[in-house]
Amino acid sequence: MVAILGVMVVVMATSYLVAYLKGLQVWGISNAVPWGQLITLDIYFIGLSAGAIVVSGLCYVLRREEYKPIGRIAVFMGLLIFTGAMVCVLVDLGRPEKFWRLFMYGYLNNMTSMFAINSIWYGGYILLMLLYLWLAIENKTRLAMIVGTIDVLWAIGVHSFTGAIFGLIGTREILFSPIKPFEFIAAALTSGTALLILVVVVAFKFSKRYIDKKVILSLGRLLSIIIIVLLVMVFFDKLTHIYFPHRAGAVFLFTGHYWWLFWCFQIGMGLIIPLIILFHPKAGKSVKGVVIASISVVIGVLGERAALVVPGTAQVQQLYPGTIEGVWGAAGVFPITLWETALALGIVALVALLFVLGLKYLELLPATEVAEVSEAPEVSETSEGAEASAPAVEAEG
Amino acid sequence: MAKWGMIIDLDKCVGCQACTVACKEENNVPHGSPQEQRRRREIYWNRVIAVSEGEYPTVRVEFIPIPCMHCENAPCVTVCPAKATYHRDDGIVVQDFRRCIGCRYCIVACPYGVRSFNFKDQQEEEYHRPDLPPTRADRGPWPFPQRIRGVVEKCTFCFHRIDQGLKEDKKIGIDVVPACVEACPTKARIFGDLDDPDSEVSRLLATRGGFRLREELSTHPKVFYLHG
Amino acid sequence: MPVSNSDLSSSKGRKDSRSSVTRRTFLKVSALTGVAVAASRIIKYPEISPIASAQASTEGVITEKWINTSCLNCPARCATQVRVVNGKAVKISGNPLSEVSEGEICPRGHIGLQVLYDPGRVSGPLKRTNPLKGRGVDPDWTPISWSQALSEVSARLKSLRDKAQPHKLLLLHGLNTISNEDMIHRFADAYGTPNVISGDALENEAEKSGRWMADGNYNHVAYDFGQTNYLLAFGASIIESEKPLARNLRMWGKIRRERPIRAKVVVIDPRYSVTAAKADQWIPINPGTDSALAMAIASVIISEGLYDAEFIRNWTSGFDEYKELALNYYSPEKMATVTGIDADITRQIAREFAQTKPAIAWIGRGVAGWPNGSYNSYAIFCLNALVGNIDAPGGVIYQEDPKYRDMPKPVEDDAAKEGKAKPRLDFRQTNLFPSAEVVTNQVADSILNDAPYSVEMAIGFNSNFNMSAPGTWRWDEALKKVPYYVHIAPFISEMAEYADIILPASTFLEEWAYDHSPPGSGFAEAKLKQPVVEPLHDTRGITDIIFEIAGRLGGTAAQSFDGIGGDAQGFVRYRTGTIVTWQEFRETGVWAGPAYQYHKYDRIFNTPSEKFEFYSGNLERVLKKTGKVDGRLACLPHYEEAAFLGDRGSYPLVLSTYQPLLNVENGNQNYPWAQEIFLVMHGVGWINFVEINSKTARFLGIRDGDTVWVESPFNRIKVRARVIEGIHPQVVSMANGQGHYADGRWQQSIGVNPNEIIGVSYDQLSGQSSLFNTRVKVYRV
Repeated sequence: MVAILGVMVVVMATSYLVAYLKGLQVWGISNAVPWGQLITLDIYFIGLSAGAIVVSGLCYVLRREEYKPIGRIAVFMGLLIFTGAMVCVLVDLGRPEKFWRLFMYGYLNNMTSMFAINSIWYGGYILLMLLYLWLAIENKTRLAMIVGTIDVLWAIGVHSFTGAIFGLIGTREILFSPIKPFEFIAAALTSGTALLILVVVVAFKFSKRYIDKKVILSLGRLLSIIIIVLLVMVFFDKLTHIYFPHRAGAVFLFTGHYWWLFWCFQIGMGLIIPLIILFHPKAGKSVKGVVIASISVVIGVLGERAALVVPGTAQVQQLYPGTIEGVWGAAGVFPITLWETALALGIVALVALLFVLGLKYLELLPATEVAEVSEAPEVSETSEGAEASAPAVEAEG
Repeated sequence: MAKWGMIIDLDKCVGCQACTVACKEENNVPHGSPQEQRRRREIYWNRVIAVSEGEYPTVRVEFIPIPCMHCENAPCVTVCPAKATYHRDDGIVVQDFRRCIGCRYCIVACPYGVRSFNFKDQQEEEYHRPDLPPTRADRGPWPFPQRIRGVVEKCTFCFHRIDQGLKEDKKIGIDVVPACVEACPTKARIFGDLDDPDSEVSRLLATRGGFRLREELSTHPKVFYLHG
Repeated sequence: MPVSNSDLSSSKGRKDSRSSVTRRTFLKVSALTGVAVAASRIIKYPEISPIASAQASTEGVITEKWINTSCLNCPARCATQVRVVNGKAVKISGNPLSEVSEGEICPRGHIGLQVLYDPGRVSGPLKRTNPLKGRGVDPDWTPISWSQALSEVSARLKSLRDKAQPHKLLLLHGLNTISNEDMIHRFADAYGTPNVISGDALENEAEKSGRWMADGNYNHVAYDFGQTNYLLAFGASIIESEKPLARNLRMWGKIRRERPIRAKVVVIDPRYSVTAAKADQWIPINPGTDSALAMAIASVIISEGLYDAEFIRNWTSGFDEYKELALNYYSPEKMATVTGIDADITRQIAREFAQTKPAIAWIGRGVAGWPNGSYNSYAIFCLNALVGNIDAPGGVIYQEDPKYRDMPKPVEDDAAKEGKAKPRLDFRQTNLFPSAEVVTNQVADSILNDAPYSVEMAIGFNSNFNMSAPGTWRWDEALKKVPYYVHIAPFISEMAEYADIILPASTFLEEWAYDHSPPGSGFAEAKLKQPVVEPLHDTRGITDIIFEIAGRLGGTAAQSFDGIGGDAQGFVRYRTGTIVTWQEFRETGVWAGPAYQYHKYDRIFNTPSEKFEFYSGNLERVLKKTGKVDGRLACLPHYEEAAFLGDRGSYPLVLSTYQPLLNVENGNQNYPWAQEIFLVMHGVGWINFVEINSKTARFLGIRDGDTVWVESPFNRIKVRARVIEGIHPQVVSMANGQGHYADGRWQQSIGVNPNEIIGVSYDQLSGQSSLFNTRVKVYRV
């Protein structure tokens, strides 16, 4: 596993070198669609890292003890994914050696730019998560609780201002919306929770740790609620955009040549299918069902990010009434290219590699291993399981 | 302080594209290739678009030259994180290559599509231009003598001509104009000080009334068009 | 390991000497650098002439100059100024001293830089080593020296002369400077061949013969465009391709917005051209029926009494016959089915044309390139006379050209005299082409048929008829057949691929020449061409090459080139010496003749009646010689149904072609600045299409962007389809200038060349190749 990921990381480094030396011509981006896989991955990762907040929020703000066992892994995952997002941004810059300019506040920085503002949000977020993780590993619960709460509140800023990067751009009809920041918070929470569910289930299974089925199911219920919130937001956002008379952006999103990103991924896999599964009487109450719904959400939200970045900028700018001929009137196209995909996958692999290494060498999982693995029928939801995990927690607490 | 603006008379413009070529010639803008055009990577500081309407035989095609609008409420200036693009005192929106980090946010924000990213280096041998200021390559507000990949560029209203002209006490808009204005054979492009009521641009706006592209976005561009 | 004293001392000594050397070197180097930097700041002499536009000088500039010269990227030859920094040409703009273009140039002028610095240029003489010739066959060029190349060429020329066959030398010339053309003609005269063939008959010779029928001047028509108030453009894309283009562009701005009266422009063309887009009215016309419309307009003007009776009475002849013809046969209602134009519209434009003073009926390439092109031109030209606009402000004017110094007659020996007396390869001014001055496209067939005789040797000066002539396959075969072909140009074009020797010519920015614009200004203007940079490669100007070859031939050929300057610079100085001093000419780059005088009715008509002729006496004379005069109609302007190539059933559509502005007309298109913005109307570059009407396309099941075959009775080509509204439903159109297959990174395999499927037919009177009468069918691949 480590070996495979290691190889992929090497591939990533090579692809980056190619892009750095030859220029970004080796990617799929263009003057029509200037942001591509890397920025999509960046905002996706930022969203995914929200899984950490969910758990911090649950554990420390809402004081729900049953989420404690997954607390550390969640934060570690969140931290790594967020770092991955920062790597994506750095790598996407045309001149990455100048990235320090993003931090020259007041002097060389333009604080009306969302990128500049976000450097504060993101920087602070990373520091807070590091602090929180350290506190959690050192078991300083009270401090961890305070930091966790700040973290949750700070995270609202992080996600809404990430949404603001897109939502405040007046010229791009598909992007422009005051709901975007809220959409981003909701999408972050759904994808974060979904990924959290997946990672917890997989990691606990592979390391033969026990996780209470109830935890997963309640996360699943939380997921379904957040999906409904997101669905409502998306609905009203798109309704506003398709209402009379100014609707070109929404029409392009719904029927242009990237319609499938919106309908199949964002709506289908990101919203409808998970809701169907989660509200199904049988499937919604099984870990398997929740896992499948989570997979759907994870893929769907990636599609949603892509549906933002690609058709958002690919839409033709109507400079003048009439049909603009030729190149200037053609919608942007974003081809999938080798080096960009290799780089994107490589960054994913990098995050995964670090995560796996972290699992191996850091104490992120509950101490005890259990013979049977978690996917037991309702019967195991008994005191046996609870007793098995409880001593471990107490011993460490 | 002057407020430089441009007027493009769509009635006189004949779509010859001398402005596009002269601008490339003046500012050492790289040319494209068939692949780059297909992939929308060609760099233009000025381009001429054709907008068509109607059905045979009542057809209409209009030619519209589009340089950077040097908007007063420039969205690109708002979103640039590194202050690489900013307003000069005289209203020109400058692109500083030394500061540009290549994040391309300005390209996303620009309503007119006048900004281009350098997806590759410009070949040195073809384009070495010792005559263009300054002599240091990738530093400061100049992409020449040699362009470097990874930064965004756009029309500058030929401010190198304006600055030199002011130094030599020349009249901007009459003796000294941007390369596109100079090259236009029908004299469809006029340049001058919008704040000066005696300038040609002010006079034309008063007598013929101009419009701007995408007024609804309130970018307040400083390139006005006279009706065709 | 113990270190001995000796070790230490020696190493120390070495170290000392090393460091002292290093220090010394460092000081030296830094001192030199300092001096150099200081020097470069001091030694900076920008020589900006007062005409130059302000462009900042920087530390990198050591020398800067502005040189006045002129352009040659199309036949307009506009005056330019070139800015040269450190020996490199960096900018071209118009020369404000030129009154023809008023200091303006079109985009092709700027593209001159890419012509000069074209990486595909030939850097030295080349010799073919692969005896096989053909399209796509690699000639296997080997570089040879100029002396080798010139001696081989002269040897062959000499031997041809010695065999008393100088007439079997064929000289082809495309776009060259006037001075080079004068040299080529002189060489032909001295050498003894009548076969100097220009590419003019691929352009609009029929316009020349059409108007010649009326006023006896076998020349393009000049229009006083800047002063007109009404323009009826027949098949003329004035602001896209008609020459002199830069002047047309400037005048367009003037007549539309810079005068109290705005000129109205009406464009009659099956295609919605750039000019139609900027005009006030576009009238799509059935292809090949322009003379019908012109006669219908005449009938309206005459029947409503709107013609200029005084002018007609005093300065024209044959009006009564013309009037009868127009009124009896060409009413707008009758012509409506022929032209596809409503009678109302015909009446409207006829009245406007007659009642707006002054007005111009402009004969365009689109009406000349037909089998009835001469009559099309004649009929349209007569409209100008009908309203009295001959040699009047804002009407038709008579171009004056600079009167260069007369050269002494070439020295002719018997071989030369006999050679020149032989019939010409293009059958001009024979019964085949009675009034033609040149029949370019015929030469290919003459070579293939060995008629009237075989061709032994050919020299091409910037010619590329393998691309630009209809029926390109014949030129490929003909060039294969010519035993020895020498190509003289800066680059290797499609025609050059058949050469045995390539003599690389300098570009127009590296040579000495004189030029004057094609008709348009009225007043004469001579333009200088002087080198702006030292030739970049081992090339020579065409004039210098001809001087060399003549010298090597010796005898009367060499004598004919004595006393006319000795080399290119001398020749230019010699020829322009009578009109302008050399120093002034070099400084200003232009010389303008006296202001234009109008109403020279006693001098401008070279006709039997010495008046404007509605019944052409000139043509009658010529036709009588051929014995082919059947009735009066042949010498009157009239409509003849155009003979199309291909039957309507199998080939339902008519193929038309056009010259986009960015078509660089020197035979090459290897210029990225031109290619990337090639078609402004379609917003694309690096391509050409077949443009089809949307209803026609729907009927054929073709969508925009589909790849289709365009098939004529002769050939077929595969090309992208472009579905548009702005074209007649029965016409498809293709832009010229693409489809190159010769080397050239920016032109090879881009687009298609419509001449590969256009058939061979002529306007028999003028020898003009018909360009627009080939029928085609279009279907999906």
